[in-house]
This record gives sequence, C-alpha cells and structure tokens, in this order.
Amino acid sequence: MATQIDPRGPRFGATITNVLSAIIFYLALDKDTEATGAVLFGIAAVLFLIGTVFGTSKHPFGWLFRTFVKPRLSAPKELEDSRPPQFAQAVGLFVSVIGLVLFVSGVPYGLAFAAGALFIASALQAYIGFCLGCQMYLGLKRLGVFKG
Amino acid sequence: MSPELKLGLLIGLVALAAIVGVVWKLRTGTAKRVDDGEYVDLAEISAVKNGKPVNALSTKVTFLQFSTDFCTFCGPTAKMLEALERTDPSVTHLEVNVTDRLDLVKKYNILQTPTTLVLDQKGKIMSRIGGAPKAHTLITEIGNFDI
Repeated sequence: MATQIDPRGPRFGATITNVLSAIIFYLALDKDTEATGAVLFGIAAVLFLIGTVFGTSKHPFGWLFRTFVKPRLSAPKELEDSRPPQFAQAVGLFVSVIGLVLFVSGVPYGLAFAAGALFIASALQAYIGFCLGCQMYLGLKRLGVFKG
Repeated sequence: MSPELKLGLLIGLVALAAIVGVVWKLRTGTAKRVDDGEYVDLAEISAVKNGKPVNALSTKVTFLQFSTDFCTFCGPTAKMLEALERTDPSVTHLEVNVTDRLDLVKKYNILQTPTTLVLDQKGKIMSRIGGAPKAHTLITEIGNFDI
C-alpha cells in the first residue's frame, strides 16, 4: 500500500544501518571476528526482512524515529511515497543474504564485500538522500532479477 | 590482518562512499545531448495528462518524464516541471509511469528514474536528463530552442 511518510524516517534508519555496516565491515576483515560480523549481518537481514514485508514505518528504526526523533523535529516540509524506501529494504535484504551465503561458503572477504556495499548504499541514503536501491529498480528489472 | 590495515580499509571505504556521493551529486540532473535523431511516438508511450490521452506536443519544448512507483525523486521532479509549465506557456510536461512498461524502458534505454527526455515540437529527442533535473539545466535546455 502506498502511503505518505516523513522522508527523514528512512534517512534516520539508514544512518543506523550505516554505522552497523561499518562495524560489520571491520569485523569481517579478520578471521577471528568474522563470525561475530556474520551474526550482526544476520540481525541486519532480519531487520531488512521486517522493512521489506511491513514497510519502513513498522521497522524498529521507524519506531525509534517516531518515538524519540520526530517529536524533536519541526514538521516535515514534504512527504514521500512509502514504496521506494520499502523497495530499498528488499535490496538491502538481498545484499545481506548474498553476504551471508558468501560467508557460509567460505569465500574470503565475501562478508566484508557485502558489508562494504551496504555501507556505501546506506551512506548515500543517510547523508545525501540518494536511494541507490530505488535507483537500481529499473536496472534490476531489465536484468530480469525480479518480475512485478 | 593488522589493526592499521583494517582501519585503513575502513577509511578507504568511507572515501569511496564520499567519492560516489560527490560524483552522483555533480552528475545527477544534468543534460546529455542526443544526436541520433530518434523520435518519441506519443501513441506508443500512451501519455496521459489530467486523465486525457495526449496527442500533441508543445510548439516549443516538451519535457517527457519517465517515472516508476519506486522512485524517490519522481514526485518532486513532476512538481518542478509542472510549475515550469504553468509559468512558461511554451513548455509542456508529460509523465509516463514505466513500472509495467519494460518495452518503453528498453526502447528508450532508461536506466534510472526519473529520466526526462527533452523533445522538440516534432518529438525529436534533443537531450536526456537523468535524475532530478537541476534548475539551471532546465533553463539552458529551454534556452537552446531560442537560438
């Protein structure tokens, strides 16, 4: 369902994802800490799954934003469609699943690579409002990654 | 891996994200000239305006915007082009939702939305603008028709 949401909500969520992906990236660079990174990535994947299925407003970061951040901000200048950020959550889920599969298959630095990709995408969303996942929608569709 | 190297890679990652961001900021919304003489077929794109099918272009410049449902900047872009259309009678804004029109996406080689095609009065593609158009890009594009 398309609803109108405060665009600062997804950006707030992306900031947390950005910090989390930086931590995972760092942990994934070392054999001793890589498993811890994979567990955190698993948590990220579950969060993306919630965002993909229920939308960013029902996401825990969305709840944090509404409860603790939004009351301290002025009213939003404009609202945005809820579907692009929800789609971006699906792309995030896709990237985290790829990372976990690479980790389980023992591909060296596979987890770090996926965490790095997530870091760049979440940084663009958080700090300049550029939704890479949304931008990729047509490209992915043209490649036949998904239908619909 | 040594902590110094790990930290170095982390800094490299931050730098890479910053570079991607800066390049994107500079490039998005700028116009690229098109010289292949391709025309847009209004009937094929089934453009609709205010609930009515469109069968005529502007006598000067038409901005044909391709959008999808999963597009952050499509709404603001449409608002911007509509405002331009209201203030300048020689400008027409058309928007086509290509979420389910993969044929058009392939034909016009659309890699991102919004993509805006700048058309002359016969529907010839003069330029393409990827991303939310910058204000000065639009002014330049309209100005090109005055020469």
